[in-house]
Amino acid sequence: MKKISLIIISCFLAFLAQAQIDGEVLKPQSGKFLLQNATVVTVTQGILEGSSVLINDGKIEAVGQNLSSDGATVIDCSGHYIYPGMFDGGTRLGLVEVNSVPETQDFAEIGDVTPNMQALTAVNPNAVAIPVTRVSGVTTTLAVPSGGIFPGTAALINLNGYTPDQMYAGFKGLVMNFPSSARRSTYDRRSEEDIKKDAEKSMKNIAEIWGNAKKYHALKEKGGQLQYYPEMEHLSKAVSGEMTMLIEVNAASDIEQAIKWIKENEVKAILTGVAEGWRVADKIAEANLPVITGPMLSIPTRESDRFDASYANAGKMAKAGVKVAIRTNDAENVRNLPFNAGFAAAYGLGKEEALKAVTINPAEIFGVADQLGSIEVGKNATLLVADGDPFETKTQIKHVFIDGYKIPMTSRHIQLYQEFIERNPGLEKNVK
Amino acid sequence: MNKNIYLLLAGLILLVNAGFAQTKKGSVLIKNATVLTITQGVLENTDVLVENGVIRRIGQGINAPANTITINAAGKYLMPGIIDAHSHIALDAVNEATSPITAEVKMEDVVNPFEVSIYRALAGGVTISHAMHGSANAIGGQNITLKHRYGTFDPDDLLMKEAPRTIKFALGENPTRVHGRGKSIQPRTRMGVEAVIRNGFKEAQQYQKAWKDYENASKQRNSTAVPPKYDPRLQTLADILDGQIIIHCHSYRADEIYMLINVCREFDIKNIVFSHVNEGFKVAPELAAYTMGASVFADWWAYKFEVYYSTAFNAAILTRNGVVTSINSDSGELIRHLYHEAAKTQRYGELSDEEALALITINPAKQLGIEQFVGSIEVGKQADLVVFDEHPLSVYAVPQMTFVDGVKYFDINEDQDDQRLKVSATEMVEPIYLKEHDHKCMQDVDFFFTNFGRTLFGHTH
Amino acid sequence: MIITTKNYKQFLLLFWCSLTFTFSSVAQSDHTGKRRVSSAYAITNTNLFSSPEKSQTKVTIIIKDGLIHEIGPNPTIPSEAQLIQGDSLFVYAGFIDPAGDMGVSKPDEPNRPSDFDSSNPADEFAGITPYRNVMDQFDAKNSKIEEWRKLGFTVTQLIPDGGMLPGKTSVIVLGDPNNPNLLAQNTALSAKFTGARGMYPATTLGVMSKFREIYQNATLSSRHENLFASNAGLKRPAKNKTYEAFYPTLDKSIPIIFEVSNELEMRRAIKLQKELGFDLVLAGVQDGEEVIPSLIDANAKVLFSLQLPEDKASKSEPKEDAEEQAKRIDRVKESYEKSLKQAGIFEDAGIPFAFHTKGAKSGDMIKNIRLMIENGLSESAALAALTVNGAKILGIEKMAGTIEKGKLANLVLLTDTLFKEEAQIKHVLADGYLFDYDIKPKKNGKKENGDGDVSIEGKWRYTSSTPAGSSEGEMNFSKVADDYTGTITLDNPTGSGTLKPEMKEISLSGNKLSFSFEVNVQGNNLSIQVSGEVDGEEFSGSMSVAEFGSFPLDATKVPENAIKL
Repeated sequence: MKKISLIIISCFLAFLAQAQIDGEVLKPQSGKFLLQNATVVTVTQGILEGSSVLINDGKIEAVGQNLSSDGATVIDCSGHYIYPGMFDGGTRLGLVEVNSVPETQDFAEIGDVTPNMQALTAVNPNAVAIPVTRVSGVTTTLAVPSGGIFPGTAALINLNGYTPDQMYAGFKGLVMNFPSSARRSTYDRRSEEDIKKDAEKSMKNIAEIWGNAKKYHALKEKGGQLQYYPEMEHLSKAVSGEMTMLIEVNAASDIEQAIKWIKENEVKAILTGVAEGWRVADKIAEANLPVITGPMLSIPTRESDRFDASYANAGKMAKAGVKVAIRTNDAENVRNLPFNAGFAAAYGLGKEEALKAVTINPAEIFGVADQLGSIEVGKNATLLVADGDPFETKTQIKHVFIDGYKIPMTSRHIQLYQEFIERNPGLEKNVK
Repeated sequence: MNKNIYLLLAGLILLVNAGFAQTKKGSVLIKNATVLTITQGVLENTDVLVENGVIRRIGQGINAPANTITINAAGKYLMPGIIDAHSHIALDAVNEATSPITAEVKMEDVVNPFEVSIYRALAGGVTISHAMHGSANAIGGQNITLKHRYGTFDPDDLLMKEAPRTIKFALGENPTRVHGRGKSIQPRTRMGVEAVIRNGFKEAQQYQKAWKDYENASKQRNSTAVPPKYDPRLQTLADILDGQIIIHCHSYRADEIYMLINVCREFDIKNIVFSHVNEGFKVAPELAAYTMGASVFADWWAYKFEVYYSTAFNAAILTRNGVVTSINSDSGELIRHLYHEAAKTQRYGELSDEEALALITINPAKQLGIEQFVGSIEVGKQADLVVFDEHPLSVYAVPQMTFVDGVKYFDINEDQDDQRLKVSATEMVEPIYLKEHDHKCMQDVDFFFTNFGRTLFGHTH
Repeated sequence: MIITTKNYKQFLLLFWCSLTFTFSSVAQSDHTGKRRVSSAYAITNTNLFSSPEKSQTKVTIIIKDGLIHEIGPNPTIPSEAQLIQGDSLFVYAGFIDPAGDMGVSKPDEPNRPSDFDSSNPADEFAGITPYRNVMDQFDAKNSKIEEWRKLGFTVTQLIPDGGMLPGKTSVIVLGDPNNPNLLAQNTALSAKFTGARGMYPATTLGVMSKFREIYQNATLSSRHENLFASNAGLKRPAKNKTYEAFYPTLDKSIPIIFEVSNELEMRRAIKLQKELGFDLVLAGVQDGEEVIPSLIDANAKVLFSLQLPEDKASKSEPKEDAEEQAKRIDRVKESYEKSLKQAGIFEDAGIPFAFHTKGAKSGDMIKNIRLMIENGLSESAALAALTVNGAKILGIEKMAGTIEKGKLANLVLLTDTLFKEEAQIKHVLADGYLFDYDIKPKKNGKKENGDGDVSIEGKWRYTSSTPAGSSEGEMNFSKVADDYTGTITLDNPTGSGTLKPEMKEISLSGNKLSFSFEVNVQGNNLSIQVSGEVDGEEFSGSMSVAEFGSFPLDATKVPENAIKL
């Protein structure tokens, strides 16, 4: 038994050795790479067997058979699969280091209306969780601020870079937490009447704030000299449609309210969360609103709901015609994104749609499909190489490229494994 | 111990037995499945015959006795019921967080058979959960091992009568925060946690002696010996010293794990399992040598400072170092897909199918002291079984049916959507739960005003 | 003590003493001019329902000295008797309430010492005061007493207010309004699953363990005392008043009455009973049908509250996602209907039970009993639950519960048979004292609740349940011109001691009360909203804490000049 495990260990160490030798500092590498003889899952243009991908200057230069390896570092991908890098459509990755330590929480500012707070500013490029995440093939995440009604501006980032600007992936969205009219727990003993009243009150509150933003925008358009008002400055970008809104809304009746609100105010919006989207899927489809939903791995919103309501949500919305992207809403465990997609696939979304929901769909929803979301010539070389289906837990992710940079396949989790798989000294210290 | 208490205990045992006489037992023949026995390899195209709640035969071409339902599982996978060694579902209270030692309190007293989370666990193939006290106290309450016989209104029907007694311990941030920082009593540091536990055991030894002296004296003719005060707290600790109770200890850091290993060795306590044990990988040789194992999360980390230096490869490192390892949920959410949590050890450490499945079956059974009854598919064991449409370690696997004692409690094709057993007569608007996680290790603790901000943001195990 | 045949004589003696006392105390004549002229009454030619099984017409009942003196078609009417024309009246035994809290207030909390240890508090801090007696907190002049008497109640067993072991109960007769009219003291030990606030035992876990610990140590302590009493040279027993208070439950001379609020609490009380062996009475039984076998097994006595859940389901109209919502509402309806059927199911199962007033609104009593009757309860079982069953559970069936010669003169005189909608109570005789009530021409019997009726001024004591346990404090309202001002006390969330913030935005419209206040928690100002409904001296509502959630908050008005007896 011990022998067998030692063999397995040494095999694994051999693989890791390729990534890290004692004391060596590993950096992302740029240049020209030929990923040779793989099965290329392009997402948008079918599955190409026995094909290669040529990466140069951060871009996918060619995809096909018999590509020249001139000047390129050749990586043999026989028996492996190439997929586009995966998107997580909603996270706190980079905005928090240790959840329970307030000093490391940078996702919620004081105040209800703080659209001027920029998530991109607070993203820590050196967060320990970033390498932990990207070696799973998740390459691109939306960093989302939270708390209050308008908590700030979210930003799409690639998980490689030394400054936030190097990480920025081309999309920002104004976050809005749509008021919830739901009973919050069994301890919430408000009468039905009070719940209704509270909901009306919060809608009135939002109407007042939004009315203010509209006024600000209109006066500004007329060339009025207005006092410095950064909150309204940012809201007015959403009023004009210049900036997309990310509207967090979950309960069925709130989703309907939000759809109404979006129509009335003629804003450009993406619905996020949407935990009860399956209840009103037709209405979301009819309103033609894209959805970022998840995590699938969460308990159903109501005790009376079917046990798989949250697994099946994405599939039901997709079936109704909604464009769906997936998120983990996590920070340190964004690496579970492919598993969330796997569960959605198993419970009705299907494998093909699930793959789209973490690649091309979010790329389109965020308006970056010209650069990301599929393996196509001319797009950014943001992709992964795996020995199987990346949603399967058994699959090993072999390589990750972000904007053409070959990412070192290591993280703190892997380093601790390397040190402790065979601790020295073991139980006894060998000192003579 | 005085006679009355003996009588009382005897009465209790009778009572428990009487209660279990009525537990439902089923008979069923499952045919043509790929049987993942866990302990005896994978058997292709095999039949499993269950009679009266027990596995009677495993083989091919078995015919169903009269009145036994046959299920054709061709192309499907059959595995033993999943066992969760650390859970808080089906409980009305989790923490009696008012004293650093509350060894006397019993989770058995607060079992709630109406929680729909039991059904949802069954829908994820989990047939047994270890319903634990929370982690607020250095020595918490006595846990209870539950079989998920959902549908009963009697909490006693959920108890697994064969399971030995277990107790919760907790080290590190939680007990020091609740007591030291919250109430200015020991322990405030990891030094204090050791001292509190050591004090408890020492006092228990004195207590044992006082009762022994009394019992000896009362054997004398015309004895006028005066009984000492009864202290269920110290009595429980004495029972730990006597080897009657398995410790399940909430722990994270290597130093605190090592500390408790040393204290247990000093008091000659061998029945100890470490739970969560995120830094267990750092003391894997010690865990292998001196404990009943480690029960870990597949990948949780960074939700608090003491789990910042964690690795998802923990289970693999522990397994490879010979530690009996299990993967637990600690959550009403995770308990629904423990098969998937176990599968993550194939991504993080490339465990074999058999090793990965042992993490949620025979290994937790060993840690709960019930491996002779459950945890594998073997003739003579209790028929806790799950049918999957695909291999349970695949992310696409969907549990189809779950049996406890041969009785089917979950069937994906017979699910009623609303599976609540009890509905309030006045609650017209159902609450909508929007927190993605449902971790209860610290339930009932400073939930309200204190630490208000912290709890707002979720993670509190 | 429970009144058994053995001590019935003692009991009568106590009873007579109390009567004599009444007489001798007015030895210097009455200068109010209000004392009753005679204590003898004759109800003539009436319709008598002497027990749930037995009725007669055209009988005359003679009352004398607080007792039923004579019953018959033609008894001699003493010349001093005041006549009550009974021709068109229907006479029932006075109702018996085996668990009530009319006139009972909660004792003040003791001040905590500076070195207070929440992990090991003295009993009195933790709600463990079984040595107290409810009479110490009883106000005989409280208006609740008249509220229930007016509905026919003549005897009640008073349950003390407090924590897990608040004290012992006493049985009183609701007669002479100027006296507490004690029938028996220390009739049962009261218990419930209420955790202590912020100290051990805080949850059901701790309460169960603490209960066992006390009971077993009481057993040991009583053995120690017996040994000490009969032997020289022994260690002196440490006197512990908590253990001593349990002694009469050990030999079952009194039962333990457990107040339960759901099925699981009922099972927990039965579990303790099975382990420890005391006599068990369960009050507040709800959702009890699944527990019937265990109840029989434990030989537990069963009390139902006269309160029923509010019927919300039948009033609702389905909105969006109609079909799905309808299914959910059907389950709520089913549950509601089940709660109405409980009494009938217990009757069918042959389990005698009695109705109690604790936790019930007097205004709903008749409506609720009728609902139970519509849902399967027989009228005779309903009558038994109001009279003879309660008498048996309290052990006073020799003196109350039916109308027989020699029993206490506790009677209810109605204008029609008891459960008829037209029936109104015209007189109540309690302990031989006559109370007359106006008969209203029949309208819809709804209680009116106009603006003017609601008054919140004064001191209230509130309890709020949160996932962390319950919290308590006081609210004080005063009226300045047309506006209210007020303060609320609460435990300092981050330190020790209590805070007393000012209330803001106090609004009272109809019986709807709302206000808010602010607390500073770790540098953040937390705004807390409270809203709910006032019903007489009860407030029931909820408290919402910012985004965090909303929690039930109930309050009771503290009587301004509570007379402690």
